[in-house]
Amino acid sequence: MVVSKPSSDTSHLYDGKTVRSSAPSRKKAAGQLGIGSEIPSDAIPNVEIPSFIESLLGGPLVPKMKFLPPDKMVQNLQVAVYGVLVGLALLTYMISPPEGTMWYILFGSLAFANIMQLSIIAGATVTGFMGTYKRDARFSLLSNTLFILAILRFASSKTSLSNDLFGFQDNPFMLAILVVVYSVLLIMYFELSNGVIRYSMLDTSIRTNEVYVMNPKKIVGKYHRSLVINPIIATLLAWFVLSANTILPFIVGIFSNDTKVRLQESVELTSVYGVALGTLFVFIVVGILFGLNLPTHLQRFRESRAE
Amino acid sequence: MWSRKSAMLGSLAVAMYLLGLTLRNSQLVTIAVVIFVFLTWAALFGGHADVAASGRRADEWSGEEGAALGSVVAMRKLSSARMFEDGELSVTLRMQNTSSLPKILEVRDRVPEVMRIKEGANYILMELGPRRETFIEYTVECPLRGFYSLGPVTVRIQDPFGLFHKEKELHVYNDFLVFPKMEDLKETFVKSRVPKIFTGAVNIRQPGPGSEFYSLREYFEGDSFRSINWSAYARSGKLMVNERERDAVSDIIIIVDSRSVAETGPVSRNSLVYSTRAAASLAKYFLGRRDSVGVIVYGDEVVSVDRDTGKKQLYVILTKLAGAVARGNIPLQVVVNRILPHINKGSPIIFLSNLEDDPTIVNALRDFRARDFDVTVLTPSSLEFEFDAKRIDRTGYEVMKTERDVLIGELRGLGVNIMDWEPDMLLSTALAGARGF
Repeated sequence: MVVSKPSSDTSHLYDGKTVRSSAPSRKKAAGQLGIGSEIPSDAIPNVEIPSFIESLLGGPLVPKMKFLPPDKMVQNLQVAVYGVLVGLALLTYMISPPEGTMWYILFGSLAFANIMQLSIIAGATVTGFMGTYKRDARFSLLSNTLFILAILRFASSKTSLSNDLFGFQDNPFMLAILVVVYSVLLIMYFELSNGVIRYSMLDTSIRTNEVYVMNPKKIVGKYHRSLVINPIIATLLAWFVLSANTILPFIVGIFSNDTKVRLQESVELTSVYGVALGTLFVFIVVGILFGLNLPTHLQRFRESRAE
Repeated sequence: MWSRKSAMLGSLAVAMYLLGLTLRNSQLVTIAVVIFVFLTWAALFGGHADVAASGRRADEWSGEEGAALGSVVAMRKLSSARMFEDGELSVTLRMQNTSSLPKILEVRDRVPEVMRIKEGANYILMELGPRRETFIEYTVECPLRGFYSLGPVTVRIQDPFGLFHKEKELHVYNDFLVFPKMEDLKETFVKSRVPKIFTGAVNIRQPGPGSEFYSLREYFEGDSFRSINWSAYARSGKLMVNERERDAVSDIIIIVDSRSVAETGPVSRNSLVYSTRAAASLAKYFLGRRDSVGVIVYGDEVVSVDRDTGKKQLYVILTKLAGAVARGNIPLQVVVNRILPHINKGSPIIFLSNLEDDPTIVNALRDFRARDFDVTVLTPSSLEFEFDAKRIDRTGYEVMKTERDVLIGELRGLGVNIMDWEPDMLLSTALAGARGF
């Protein structure tokens, strides 16, 4: 078989043809190009189309920026994430017994549900470690999802423990504290793992001169303070919200002692609906505060006080 | 304003709360409540959820800025309002906090996309103390001509966890102008055959008062004794005098093609970029030798700078060239028909175009030549730009290159001084090539 090699002489292309004297038309020329004249790949502009997940999250999961090695701040945050992750994994295991999980409902086997629950918690922990160590948001997001999946239970109204090491099962107060601590740990894990990515990006931007940070100690200091203060505040406020079944009877007791007793003995108030009622009350107040534009007034008050 | 993170956490909390109520699972409700509390605390005491709470959009809102961001003031100072391409512009941004409270701010000064930050940063994260001000300095490199504007300054405050933020655009703008850069020309080889009455520094190929040798002729009575060429007298035995080439000012017309096709090629290497730089260099050269220079830029409209002389004219021309935008597709014939009655017969005309996508070019230039205009065409090759950028393949390039060569040959046949201006060729070399040197 004879393969004709392309020749550099292109004069044959014009044999018997009328050559226009006007300026060449790029479009027309493109249309006339024969076989083997496909558009080079680098001539096609790169169009970034976000995937479905990325569009849901509003941006790319993996930042285009390649992180520089972590600085001390990021390393400290990573260590904090590891600590929180271990605590969270243990607490998740404690407060989410296999009974009531979707695996138990679907398959009816306690052993299988137990294995599944352990696997999910282990998976969440491992991906959490990987996400934090590699500073890859995809693993962190997967870990967050697995933790949420682990805590989804379709069973009882009351909290039950899979492993009652400290004998909390019979103490509703300690159980409530355990759940609140778990919740705070969960949200702190979300925040810290996200903080690792955020501060890695910031640190890389600073070191590549993309961003200039004036007085970084104060900015980092504020973040550190918030890492301590916000969980404490969240715990106290959440505790307040969840204590509706004791606060409401106390308030009602000012007006009527009988109603107070009835409320204290009410099954509904001590159940999840009591919590919902407490939440409703508290967030109605919060809504009113926002409606009155409290943040602005607060800001103005702080400004005027500083004057 | 809610960030993506806070929106996701909020959605998660709502979902858990509803699921918890449906399933009567107090654990889920407890987790949801903690997330709610966390978000509320950040929103309430971060002082940034006011926009969401008020239900108004950020751009409609002015009240909250009075409290949170209203006390932040920005001012900007530029080192220069005019510069040439590849020049550097030093920007000093002065940020003031007139409030009595310290603020942690993210400040971004918006810089045109084509500019490059050379030194410093236009994105700053800072803690601005009460009643304090700070100066942010950075330098931008301006690689391309044009009218540009710096600003607005975007200021953002957010809580430490990045859950809620508030942005404000401080509408502080500074305009500046980047002129096309110019090449120093020693000689353009462009001379007028039609003198004007004022004596200038240009030889116009006619005998008269001047400095360059033109020819020898016999001595007539009244000729200056100093102009006798004694060597010629010795050779021929007749008194011969040197005639000099007349120096005079000329009208130079520069036509720049700024149709949309002129921007074919990479942003920094295309026909329009080369044409504007060439026009600026030529205008500087001709004005420097006291010629009268007029410029016509055509694209979607015909913009002309009337012939004039002097430094002011150079500034006017540079400003027009800086603002030339690749738009429209007016044929050259339209331009020629419009300007022909207004230019002196025989004036040198320099046409800068990639000669693409205009079937009237040959006829238009023929019209010039028929009226004895001295036409020079410098044609930056879009083909080369595109081929260098690997946007067209070898076959396409060969086909179009041949068509282009045919066109150039045809124009040369009309007596047009034409040069296919390759990307790496200096303007002076291209001019010399066009004039047959």
